[in-house]
Amino acid sequence: MSQTAHAADHPSTKDYVRIAIFLAVLTAIEVALFYLDEAVDMNGWDGPLLVGLSTIKFIAVVGWFMHLRFEDSFLSRFFSAGFVLAMTLYGVMLAAFGAIAIFG
Amino acid sequence: MADTFELEESADIPNSHAGDHHVVHESTGIDNRKLGMWVFLSSEFLFFGAFISNYLLYGNRDFDSVVPRDIYDIPFTSISSFVLLMSSLTMVLAHHALSTGDQNGTKTWLMATALLGSVFLGGQVFEFYEFVTVKDMTLTSNPASSAFYMLTGFHGAHVGIGILMLLSLFGIARRQGGLSEKHGMNLELVGLYWHFVDIIWIVIFTIVYLLGAS
Repeated sequence: MSQTAHAADHPSTKDYVRIAIFLAVLTAIEVALFYLDEAVDMNGWDGPLLVGLSTIKFIAVVGWFMHLRFEDSFLSRFFSAGFVLAMTLYGVMLAAFGAIAIFG
Repeated sequence: MADTFELEESADIPNSHAGDHHVVHESTGIDNRKLGMWVFLSSEFLFFGAFISNYLLYGNRDFDSVVPRDIYDIPFTSISSFVLLMSSLTMVLAHHALSTGDQNGTKTWLMATALLGSVFLGGQVFEFYEFVTVKDMTLTSNPASSAFYMLTGFHGAHVGIGILMLLSLFGIARRQGGLSEKHGMNLELVGLYWHFVDIIWIVIFTIVYLLGAS
């Protein structure tokens, strides 16, 4: 693939900067939520919110910075398989030991 | 023999460069080096998953000695996280610069990524030093401290390896006046590794620090 064609397929520098700003804002919200939870009782909503924000950041970096959304779906399947396998294995293990209660 | 096989296999694949002097090794339509890196990163989920699970098992328990959740410096770690997040931006800009033929931009962004990674690593060394000398929490203080040091320490080791790879690429680019097509693939692989280290920290920062301390 030529360099010009490669550049046309991928986001521009401005797009990458916008994504980085988006990620920085999400991080700031995460930290704000942490202190908000110390100031007022969030009835356990801080955990799911923090995990949700973290998941959005995770997907943004994998999809845009690692270019997975522009790659062959074969790579996505490989990558997702490792993630799902790890989540399942350790999720079952943590549930067995009762440690997942940290989120609730 | 193996190369001949790969050339024959890749002859029908549109993305193949079988006619070029630079042979792309592939039998799936994807460069084997890139596929190998994605498989490696996929396996790293199991590696870090074990340490994160270990922390989740012990991090929330009480022990006679000081535990990590009581001594976290969230503002400091938040800034470290921001620095590592921005290093992902400089990394992708290095890759983007190379794809547009901007060799000087590639070198600049590679060095910026290595510097930001070094700042993050320096912050982690400072944090460990504070925890050990001021807060008196060592690797063997209790299972929670062991789990914390093992998880964040191994992540730091990954960052350190990433910095070495970035500096190697920068050195090659400086010596040869730019990165060739072959080294361009190396930059892509190092970039994938670096972004992976970043996403693991996104998880650690949330689960270990923010949820752990709240």
